[in-house]
Amino acid sequence: MRTVRSQARSYPLVLKTMLVPVGYTVERWSYTLQRVTGVVVTLYFVLHVVETGNFIGGPNVWYVPPKDFAAAYYQHVKELLHNPVFDAGLVVIGWMVAFHTINGIRLTLAHFGITLGKPARVDPESPPRSFSNLQRAIFWASIALATFAAVYSVDALFGVLSG
Amino acid sequence: MRTVRLTVYRFDPTSDERPRYASYEVPYRSGMTVLDSLLYVKEKLDHTLAIRYSCRMGICGSCGMTVNGLPRLACYTQVKEVGWRIKVEPLKNHPLVRDLVTDFTDFFRKYKSMRPWLIRTDAEEQENPTKQYTQSDAELERYIQFSYCISCGLCYAACPVVTALPEFPGPQALASLYRFLADTRDHGRRERLRIVDEAVGLWRCHFAGSCSQVCPKGVDPALAIQLLRREAMRG
Amino acid sequence: MRERNVMLVHYVSGIGILVFGAVHLFTVFFTKPLGETIWETTMLFEGHQFAVLEVYRNALLATSLWFLLLFTTIHALNGLRVIITELFPVPVVRTASKYVLFALGVFLMVYGTRTIIIAHMIG
Repeated sequence: MRTVRSQARSYPLVLKTMLVPVGYTVERWSYTLQRVTGVVVTLYFVLHVVETGNFIGGPNVWYVPPKDFAAAYYQHVKELLHNPVFDAGLVVIGWMVAFHTINGIRLTLAHFGITLGKPARVDPESPPRSFSNLQRAIFWASIALATFAAVYSVDALFGVLSG
Repeated sequence: MRTVRLTVYRFDPTSDERPRYASYEVPYRSGMTVLDSLLYVKEKLDHTLAIRYSCRMGICGSCGMTVNGLPRLACYTQVKEVGWRIKVEPLKNHPLVRDLVTDFTDFFRKYKSMRPWLIRTDAEEQENPTKQYTQSDAELERYIQFSYCISCGLCYAACPVVTALPEFPGPQALASLYRFLADTRDHGRRERLRIVDEAVGLWRCHFAGSCSQVCPKGVDPALAIQLLRREAMRG
Repeated sequence: MRERNVMLVHYVSGIGILVFGAVHLFTVFFTKPLGETIWETTMLFEGHQFAVLEVYRNALLATSLWFLLLFTTIHALNGLRVIITELFPVPVVRTASKYVLFALGVFLMVYGTRTIIIAHMIG
C-alpha cells in the first residue's frame, strides 16, 4: 500500500496549525496566544537585559565610571528608544506579559487537573468536563487583565491618564 | 428538491500528479448524514471515490474525515448541521492512502505502545482467577469515561502538537494510558509512567483542547491527559 | 534530567517570575504618579541620578531582581527548547539548539548579574 507521508507534515501546515486556531475553542486560542506571547516576551527580555547592561557601562565598564557613562549615554538611549512606534510596541509587550502570566497560572492549574471537572459517566448533553467554567473564566480574566495592563502601559509611556 | 453541494478531496498517489477537488450535487433527504451523501456519490455519480466506513452508526470509528475544516465522523454528522455546501477532506495528521482514506498504522502503533490492557503482577491469578475483581462505583467513574474511545482518530487529527511533532503519541494513546492507570485492577503504574515521561511524550501536551472538542463519544482526552500529568508529577 | 523534573522546574520558575516580577513592577512602575510617563519619572535623569537606579540601592530589591533574572532565564529558555523540539523534529537541531540556548542563558545571567551589581553600587 502506497501512502503519502507528505500530507502529515509541512512547515506551512505546521505554522498554520500553530498560529491560526480558527474554528476551535478558546483552549486552542490560549495555546496559540501563550506560545506567541512567550516568544515575543522572551525576545523583549533578551533585549531588556542587553540594553540595561549597555546603559550602565556596557563593555566600557572597566575603564569608564558607570554613573558618568550612564549620564552621557542617557540622551542617546532616549533618542533611540523614546519614539511613538517603540512605545506602542512596549504597550503590546505589557499586554503580552500580563496575558502570559495569568494564562500561565491557568495552565499550571489545569496541568495538575485543578479547575477541571472530575471524570464521570459520559453525558452527551454536556460539554467536555475539561472545558470547565472556572478554567475558561480564568482565560477571560487573563484577557481582561492584559487589557488593563495595556491601558496602564499606555499611560506609563504616553501619559494620558490624569493623576 | 433541495441539493447538497459536496466538494471532495480527490487524490490517488498511484496515478495523480497532485490532489484536486471534485464537486458533486446530491439530492437532500431528511436525516441525511455526510456519509449518506458520500455514499450517494459513490453509488450514483462517481464510483471511483474511495471512502472507508462500516457501521454507519458512530460505533466502529472508520469514517473519520475533515468536514468543513473540522475532523468529524461522517456517519455522525448531519448535513443540516454543517450546511448545504460541504467540503470533505481526509483526516489531517494521518498519512493519505487515497481520496478520503488515511493510514492508521502509526496511530495504532502508538496506541499499542501504551500497553492498553490490564497489567497484573499476579499473572497466574489473572489466567486462572479464583475470585471476581470488584470495583466500587467511585472507582469505576475514575476511568469509565475514557474507556468509551472507539479509536476513530479524530482527536489525533485535531491535535496541533501531532501536526508539528509526528512522534508525539497523541491524545488517543495518552488518554488510553490514563484509562488503565486509573483502573484499580491495574498494577502497571510505574511502567506506564516511564513510557510517557519523555521529551516527546506526555509533557508536550499544551491543553489546546481540540481533541476534546472533536471527540464524538465524549471521551474528553484533554481531561485524561491533564490527570495523567498530575499522576506523572506525583511519580 | 528527566522530562518530569524539567517541567517541574518550568512551573516553579513560572511561579518565581510571578512573585519577583510583581516586586519588579511595583518598585519600578508604580513609583510614578498616573499621567506621567516613565520617561518623566522612572527614567528621569537629574543630577546623574535615575529613579530606577535608586530602587536598587536597596540590597533586598537588588537580590529580588537577580532572582527574577534567574527564573526568567530558565523559564524563557526552556520555553524556547520546547518550541524548538516541536518545530524541528530533527535530533541534530535539537542537540545543537540545547548548546545555543545554554550559551544564551550563561550570557544573560552574567551580563544581567553585572548590571544588577553595578546598579546596586551606583544607585
